[in-house]
Amino acid sequence: MSTTQSTGAEVRLIDVTRSWGSVTALGGVSLHVRAGSFCVLLGPSGCGKTTCLRIVAGLDSATSGRVEIGGRDVTALPPAARGVAMVFQSYALFPHLTVEENILFGLKARSVPAPERGRRLARAVETLGIGQLLARRPGQLSGGQQQRVALGRAIVAEAPVCLMDEPLSNLDAQLRAEMRAEILGLQRRLGITMLYVTHDQTEAMAMADQVVLLRGGHIEQDAPPAELYARPATSFAAGFVGTPPMNLLKLAPDGTVAGAGGPVLGEGGARLAGIRPEALRVGETGIPVRVTHAEYLGADTVVACQAGESRVLARLPGRAALAAGTPLHLAADPADIHLFDAETGARIATRDR
Amino acid sequence: MTRTQLPTRVLEILGAWVLGIIWVLPLLYAVWTAFHPAAYATSFTPDAPLTLANFARAWEAAPFARYFLNTTILVTLILVAQFVLCTPAAFAFARMEFPGRDTVFAIVLLQLMVMPDVLLVGNYRSMASLGLVDTILAIALPYLGSAFGIFLLRQTFRMVPQELDDAARLEGSSLMGRLWRVYVPLAKPTYIAYGLVSVSYHWNNFLWPLVITNSVTTRPLTVGLSVFASTDQGIDWSIITAATLMTSAPLLLAFLLFQRQFVQSFMRAGIR
Ligand SMILES: Nc1ncnc2c1ncn2[C@@H]1O[C@H](COP(=O)(O)OP(=O)(O)OP(=O)(O)O)[C@@H](O)[C@H]1O
Ligand SMILES: [Mg+2]
Repeated sequence: MSTTQSTGAEVRLIDVTRSWGSVTALGGVSLHVRAGSFCVLLGPSGCGKTTCLRIVAGLDSATSGRVEIGGRDVTALPPAARGVAMVFQSYALFPHLTVEENILFGLKARSVPAPERGRRLARAVETLGIGQLLARRPGQLSGGQQQRVALGRAIVAEAPVCLMDEPLSNLDAQLRAEMRAEILGLQRRLGITMLYVTHDQTEAMAMADQVVLLRGGHIEQDAPPAELYARPATSFAAGFVGTPPMNLLKLAPDGTVAGAGGPVLGEGGARLAGIRPEALRVGETGIPVRVTHAEYLGADTVVACQAGESRVLARLPGRAALAAGTPLHLAADPADIHLFDAETGARIATRDR
Repeated sequence: MTRTQLPTRVLEILGAWVLGIIWVLPLLYAVWTAFHPAAYATSFTPDAPLTLANFARAWEAAPFARYFLNTTILVTLILVAQFVLCTPAAFAFARMEFPGRDTVFAIVLLQLMVMPDVLLVGNYRSMASLGLVDTILAIALPYLGSAFGIFLLRQTFRMVPQELDDAARLEGSSLMGRLWRVYVPLAKPTYIAYGLVSVSYHWNNFLWPLVITNSVTTRPLTVGLSVFASTDQGIDWSIITAATLMTSAPLLLAFLLFQRQFVQSFMRAGIR
């Protein structure tokens, strides 16, 4: 048991699959999380994020494949021997125990001596500011307070790897933003490796060193947030990231937007052109569209338009007063146009990139 | 309240009162008779003198102190054994995967449908071959494993969120550690409710103890009372009712004292 600050361990999944009968939750996932980094597993509901996390924790076993933590093969080890701590989506606080007993539960189970327990408790309490809650039971705490206690239980374990399953999904928007900063700060300070599950792409973009985008049990893209945003590997990744996400326009054989005409966006064929809403501007030339709806957000306005068969969202600066039905031309720099195969969704390399 | 509901409501209230009165009448009669001289056993004059003499006479007429002790040992033995045996069984049925689990559980449930009285002769034979006839252990033995208890605890354990189990597992708790520190504390209302059912059932149980015991040192209160009422006293209702009140008083008092907690834990445990 180390008394110094814990530092992270790398986590590696090698071709991990998990299936229940005919249901395949994970199909051959390989993943490398560097020691001390913040990795976010992102994806829609049911894509296998929780399954992935539980396999790393050892709460679930992989049908095939290997899990390594800190260079050690832990595939056959029980959860308690893997050096991981976890914050559950429901927090999983023991309702019959006080906050203090909850936080110390694991240390008592592992027979950590009392002075050491006291030291770790004091540090967690100071870090999280939960001193006045120690004698209460979870039922007497607000959602945010319960969340802090769950964090406290995870950090006193001083495990090199921390797993979090949508820890903020039960909190209101403001508290979520606060806790986001706090969790990130905590991870940086302790230097632990974090594996963090969320279905909220803003959370992923804001916190991650590395985003792993999952879909249907497969990794769609594994990249830093900036790259995920700038170079989505598939049309799914393009349509999942960004607020609002990237527009995907079906192209006619001649390379113009199907049903709308306008400029040639790329070589035609069975292709999709992806353009981020914030890359579009109103111009003299460009894709001819018709405004259907405008939503004023303060700093900018999101204008929904119809371009032939496709819907297009454009993020225009300031307050753009546009009535429904107004015809517009939306233009974008060629560098901001991404091309995807309409069948496979795979990115198609363009001239300059 | 609408017009169609009113008569139904009146009927309901009336029915409840009638049932309540029918239920409480024998008890009221027992209280009346026990606290008055024998002369007033069948004449209800309001100014009849009160007396505790019936209780004193009943207490001396039979070894009730010993019977109390026997019954207390009996219900404690049964309760402790039931808790100790039902808990791991219920946990296995609720949270462990093993081949044939559901079949075995169905067999356990079948036991709920067997009236214990049917097994009187069979049980007696078993006790005789074990050489246990006329012991307190013999009264308890057929009841130590309880299908009802297993069923009830299994349902409760299944309602414990899986994530709590996972959290404890991750924190390094062993199987027994999780059972003891997570499942048992969370099932406390069920233990209380089941404990009450068990204690009152075995406090009042009569037929099996009557069959298997035949001496003062093993007889529980119920059997002691019937032996006392039938042979020794003829039909002196004052003493019989005094003895009856005496033997049921602990249960009655306990229920009155803890009424609210009882009802609450029954509600929480889902037994009505
Ligand atoms: N115990 C199980 N038995 C059968 N199928 C399961 C089991 N657990 C998960 N699955 C299936 O595996 C798939 C992935 O589930 P998982 O819980 O990992 O999704 P998730 O990405 O965490 O979703 P969410 O965002 O809704 O929590 C789902 O299709 C789910 O139905
Ligand atoms: Mg999940």
